[in-house]
Amino acid sequence: MIQEVRVIAKPGLPDSKGDESLYEINQDLGIQSVEKVRTARVFRFEGISEKEAAYLAVKLLAEDVFQTYRINGPVIKDAAVVLEVAYKPGVMNPEVASLLKSASDLGITGLIAADSSWEYGFYGPEISSTDISRILNSLLVNATIEYVVRETPQTLVIKGAPGLTEVVPIRQMNDGELITLSQDKLFLNLEEMKVVQKYFSGLQRDPTDCEIEIIAQTWSEHCVHKTFRAKISVDGQEKLPLLKRLKDATARSKHPLVLSAFVDNSGVMEFYEGTAICGKVETHNSPSAIEPYGGAMTGSGGVFRDIVGTGLGAKVLASTDMFCFAPPGTPGDDIPPGCLHPHYLLRRVVTGVKDYGNRMGIPTNNGSVHFHSDFRAKPTVIVGAYGILPAASSQKREPEAGDLVLTLGGRTGRDGIHGATFSSGEMTDRTIDINASAVQIGHPIEEKRTFDAILAARDEGLIRAITDCGAGGFASAVGEMGSEIGVSVALDRAPLKYPGLSPWEILLSESQERMVLAVAPAHLERLMQICRGYNVEATVLGQFTGDKRFNATYEGLTVMDLEMEFLHDGLPQRFMTASWQRPEHPEPTLQETQDWAGLFARVMGHLNVCSKEPIIRLYDHGVQGTSALPPFAGAHEDGPNNTAILTPLLGKPYGMVISHGLNPVLNMIDPYHGSLWAAAEAVSNAVSAGANPREMVLIDNFIWPFPDEDALGALDMSVDACVDFVRATGMPFISGKDSLSSTYRGKDGTVIKIPPVLCVSVFGRIPDVTRTVSADFKGIDSQIVLVGYRNTSEMAGSVYYDLQDAIGQNLPKLNPDKLMKVFEAVHEAIDSGKLLACHDISEGGLGAALAEMCFGGATGSSITIPEGENPEHFFFNETAGCFLAELPADANLAEVFSGVPCSIIGKTASGGLLTAEQDGKALFTLNLDELKEAWQRPMKEVFH
Amino acid sequence: MLKPRVCILRTDGINCDEETFYAFNKAQAECRMVHVNQIRSGEEKLASYQILALPGGFSYGDDVHSGKILAVELASFLKEQLEVFVADGKLVLGICNGFQVLVRTGLLPERRLGEINATLMANENNHFECRWVNLLVEHSNCVFTRNLKGAIMTVQVAHGEGKFYTDPATLQGIENRGQVVFRYAGADGRPTVLYPGNPNGSLNAIAGVCDTTGRIMGMMPHPERFVERTQHPNWRRMPSDTIPHGLAIFQNAVDYARQM
Repeated sequence: MIQEVRVIAKPGLPDSKGDESLYEINQDLGIQSVEKVRTARVFRFEGISEKEAAYLAVKLLAEDVFQTYRINGPVIKDAAVVLEVAYKPGVMNPEVASLLKSASDLGITGLIAADSSWEYGFYGPEISSTDISRILNSLLVNATIEYVVRETPQTLVIKGAPGLTEVVPIRQMNDGELITLSQDKLFLNLEEMKVVQKYFSGLQRDPTDCEIEIIAQTWSEHCVHKTFRAKISVDGQEKLPLLKRLKDATARSKHPLVLSAFVDNSGVMEFYEGTAICGKVETHNSPSAIEPYGGAMTGSGGVFRDIVGTGLGAKVLASTDMFCFAPPGTPGDDIPPGCLHPHYLLRRVVTGVKDYGNRMGIPTNNGSVHFHSDFRAKPTVIVGAYGILPAASSQKREPEAGDLVLTLGGRTGRDGIHGATFSSGEMTDRTIDINASAVQIGHPIEEKRTFDAILAARDEGLIRAITDCGAGGFASAVGEMGSEIGVSVALDRAPLKYPGLSPWEILLSESQERMVLAVAPAHLERLMQICRGYNVEATVLGQFTGDKRFNATYEGLTVMDLEMEFLHDGLPQRFMTASWQRPEHPEPTLQETQDWAGLFARVMGHLNVCSKEPIIRLYDHGVQGTSALPPFAGAHEDGPNNTAILTPLLGKPYGMVISHGLNPVLNMIDPYHGSLWAAAEAVSNAVSAGANPREMVLIDNFIWPFPDEDALGALDMSVDACVDFVRATGMPFISGKDSLSSTYRGKDGTVIKIPPVLCVSVFGRIPDVTRTVSADFKGIDSQIVLVGYRNTSEMAGSVYYDLQDAIGQNLPKLNPDKLMKVFEAVHEAIDSGKLLACHDISEGGLGAALAEMCFGGATGSSITIPEGENPEHFFFNETAGCFLAELPADANLAEVFSGVPCSIIGKTASGGLLTAEQDGKALFTLNLDELKEAWQRPMKEVFH
Repeated sequence: MLKPRVCILRTDGINCDEETFYAFNKAQAECRMVHVNQIRSGEEKLASYQILALPGGFSYGDDVHSGKILAVELASFLKEQLEVFVADGKLVLGICNGFQVLVRTGLLPERRLGEINATLMANENNHFECRWVNLLVEHSNCVFTRNLKGAIMTVQVAHGEGKFYTDPATLQGIENRGQVVFRYAGADGRPTVLYPGNPNGSLNAIAGVCDTTGRIMGMMPHPERFVERTQHPNWRRMPSDTIPHGLAIFQNAVDYARQM
């Protein structure tokens, strides 16, 4: 018997979820027939009496100050339509554990299972069934994880019996059969399938499903980066693999602060006083395209685990997010079938990042959003995380034979397993199928307490080695950890979310919030004690053996027995050919503008320039108390900064700088120069606040269309740019990731490739944060100085061109050797206290940078355009590696910058006007309040 | 002189514990991180401390209501220890989630464990919001603001459920007894019910309240995030001798506890 408790706000009191739903229905969906929405919580309890349910209602579920409740009856009675939306059975509802805990705290003992969900009442005489189905499908129900509850379930308990381990008769298969087997689920090519076949022929046996699955997993593009490791031929010329080129460049840089590059879950550099800082940036494009909320959450959760899985465990300090979407105003008809609308994607992805980061207590203080219509089929969702750890614990460690394999944190379910479905009959007597490959809803509290326990264990020296469970689950985490010495696990020991998982599913499950540790047997008892203290489940899965095999058993029977060498080194190296064809993007012929106010406002209101403040305010960017340069500051706290600076050691002056750069449109024109731009922009952001270019490191993320010859050619150029940048600046890449699947193929033959994305992230150290600057102008009559190399005729890919529907060919071409001189000059000027403010130039050009500095300072400014310069190019050229600096009125420019191009272009002024003149003639006088309004409007409309 | 001992209470999802620890530490207290499980098991006792601090975060995921699961745990398992702690005249501070917990235990505003008289509802704009706000320090007998009355503080808020709400009679009682400690204020320093000065729509612009003894205090904003000058978003625009506004709250608590 199930007891239902429904809780609702008292009449006349706000119903925030109802109000928010109504707003979205009216505004986002344009459905006006709905006049009001009321919501109620629904709680279900199995195994307790109605009286006990009422006790829970009073003590836990409903607060009499503003709510009423009802047991086993409706609370929304007068609505036109009432619908309940719940997680599908098998999708873990994080609230359930809390319901069970509180019930137990309140002395209720018989509770077997619980669930919670939301009920919506829609009011309005004109609501049609079409309206309701649109509201459900476009807003309230994501069919991947949720469903509409039509009748009260008979039970909340999920039952099931595990399937048997099967043998796959691979030895007798012909080529066609091998391809069919691969296509269904393995995604290996014929050559690779034949290697597998040959291996088992040599063993004179066929593989089990566990074995074939783990080989496919270990050899997947996602795990081994076949393209980045492939031998490649570019236009007929053989070149070293992409990854090798990047790693070699890092090795040649011999950067003295690097402690760990490319070998661990994140890259590590030296910080101060015996500590080290680390960084990792990941993509979560595919899950976010299908279920943006869960996809973004699990993306954040995964990259945080990479940080805690670094060395012997790091504390997560910060989160970053970089997104590329189609414009939120894209007409629905332009969205390809099977894809979600960018307005919905953007809002849901932001909510996912917010809910995970905020709940973990990790500040999200750096990020950006880029828009281009070719992201309409697949968005790019990049999430980064940064951490701190003792330098002595910063090296990746290997387990020793005899060490135990421990899993910590979340339980294992069917999350993320490909293609597996199971019928209602096997699982439960409910009639709804469980979608086995459901994108998971992240559980940040589980992850937070797991991290708390790990850091406590680290500080007591209990951890030999640690890694996170990400893609590939135990197969990948345990397999990699034991790759040198061998490991044996008993899969039936793994704690499960619900019964019924087959051994191979336990092995491959990608359930979130799990970490794997190697622990010496002598430390086990203390470690388990720590875990209990933090409410963290920890289980010994097996042991590292020393036999160099990966062995797994289930209820005593061997279900997998593979040589580590074959698993990790058996994959044949790919050979790929590349040839990039330069696309035609004719240079436009543009007229002199007659309407500077309109043009400037359109640049400021361009989606790639506009203020992202409404997003940033949703993120907690102050938690941990470490912020020394927040995303927004200035007189009205709405002036943007270019980078984040943290003080991870409270009370110490040491700063950690975090920034990034990307410009997908430039990569469409020329991937080499577009990629140099991304790296230069990333570093410029950090340098503009005062960071030392000699004390920072880089992280690469390549998000690319499927690597056909053309895309691989573009990738080759992008990697060349990265390598040249490292050579010229000495800043090494110490971590990176590629995701090469952002091509959409529609049934009708439509092919949409995203503009190639290279996102370069930067982190570094600053000895004293008081010697840094923000971007807001500080004074009146200060000198405004332009620093850096730029050729203003290089306008291709700019926002200015985009506003004229042009792309162009002549893009900014940076010289990385010269860039480094500019970086050093700017750093030195700030470090010696000579600048009052500084802003680098990027999208929107000098004009946007200048306006933002004025917004922050609540000042105006007057600008003199150099003789002979095209004014549009002067204001809107987007060459990275250039800076606007504020110097006190009496400072001597020559004493501040030398050896790099610099010029005084104007001065700050009181009042809200931006004026410009050239050759003694006034060009324009603009109202900065109007520009600010144009700049703030676009995201306010999406995030009301 | 002996340093007062502060129990920084942690549990699943509490995440402002380290900066709260740092703030009390800076105010010369002796702090200890204590997991609620350690009190449940008897390993730790509230009686060994003079100050109990409930930091911000999302205790148990803020499931059901923000702070509710921890409030139920405190009001059931730790009821007697808490009652003794309060009766002994010791100090309790709840920040953000900690404030939500104190209200949901009944300790605020009426100091009656298990009797809930007020609540913190969803922000009026229906979403989480992180921004700096001005607070007017009211004239109350609150121990934590002893020398601050009438001052304007700037602090950060970061919450989705911070709208202080109660029935008219309770509200009147709180006002009459001078239990309002902080009100959200506009740029002119006067209390405001308007966004964004008042970030959540709290009744009477209430940002923090205390019980009638002034020894139990809860507030939505985060004073522990402004105990160093560089924590303020505009420290570069401020005089270099600016004293971080949040520090005095912890200092007052420690000074009071030192005399116990």
